[in-house]
Amino acid sequence: MWIYEKKLEYPVNIKNKDLKMAKLLLDQYGGADGEYAAAMRYLNQRYSMPDEKGFALLNDIGTEELAHVEMIATMVTQLMKGATTKELENAGLTPNYVYSDHAIFPLNANGVPFSSAYIETKGDYRADLESDMAAEQRARATYEYLMNLTNDPDLLAPLSFLRQREVVHYQRFKELRDYYLEKYGKSYKTK
Amino acid sequence: MNNYFDIDNKFFNKDINKQNIDLYDPYEGFIRGNMYKELYDPYKISSPYEIKPMNEQAEMLTYIDALCFACIDLGLYLDVFPNNKDIINLFNKYNRQKNSLMDKYQEKFGPLTLDSDALNAYPWAWNERPWPWDNN
Repeated sequence: MWIYEKKLEYPVNIKNKDLKMAKLLLDQYGGADGEYAAAMRYLNQRYSMPDEKGFALLNDIGTEELAHVEMIATMVTQLMKGATTKELENAGLTPNYVYSDHAIFPLNANGVPFSSAYIETKGDYRADLESDMAAEQRARATYEYLMNLTNDPDLLAPLSFLRQREVVHYQRFKELRDYYLEKYGKSYKTK
Repeated sequence: MNNYFDIDNKFFNKDINKQNIDLYDPYEGFIRGNMYKELYDPYKISSPYEIKPMNEQAEMLTYIDALCFACIDLGLYLDVFPNNKDIINLFNKYNRQKNSLMDKYQEKFGPLTLDSDALNAYPWAWNERPWPWDNN
């Protein structure tokens, strides 16, 4: 089970409304490489990891990703605060408005709802961990694209934090993958 | 810094471990999103953003955030390298500091978790703002 801490992993205090960035950030919420997908993917994959190192790492990174979901949702909420219907329309947020008014809903930047297909789970440690390594690199790249599109320090600070977490998570997944290759050999057989 | 708790000496003394893993202190690691110096790989920004707390509550929360972060990042490392005794000791040290600071914070500003003593209050204190997504 989980215990909630009533705080963000890293503070988010955005002062300026920016609907363009809100729309783009939604991709890190409900998109294929977003934090929602990451959290669900790792927490789902942990059950079929071959040993306790995999249980622990997938459990803990999956849990941290839940905190990132909360940070992204907070950023989008604050970026959209006080927006009129007309402003949402002008920013291309009509699909989100029609779907859920000003509420946060896991859609990608094009308005496509979150899909469980993003929770890639193959039950083979190498397939799953290498998919996780790639997912961390894709998310890192997305954060860089997002950072390229804003100069607001209120946004750049949490985006930098989240981007660096992708770098760290990639490294830990890679170390676990390498450890398993050493432990189980090239057959990938764990039983 | 306020004199409410001695951050420099009590909470963020330098930690050197025998295996020469070069670590940031919790605050420096927190603002970078990374405790392990060799993994820090910044993009676009020339130096990490300092946290600028607006009041005592936010300042205290910053140090709780930093210690929580240190435990998260050291914890992920230990998941893969469970035999590193120095990192285990450091994890436990930061964990103790985090717990003690959280107790002080909750006594003064209200609960952060549902096992807090600050919930022994009327009316129900859990609902009180700020919630994490509230901004000022």
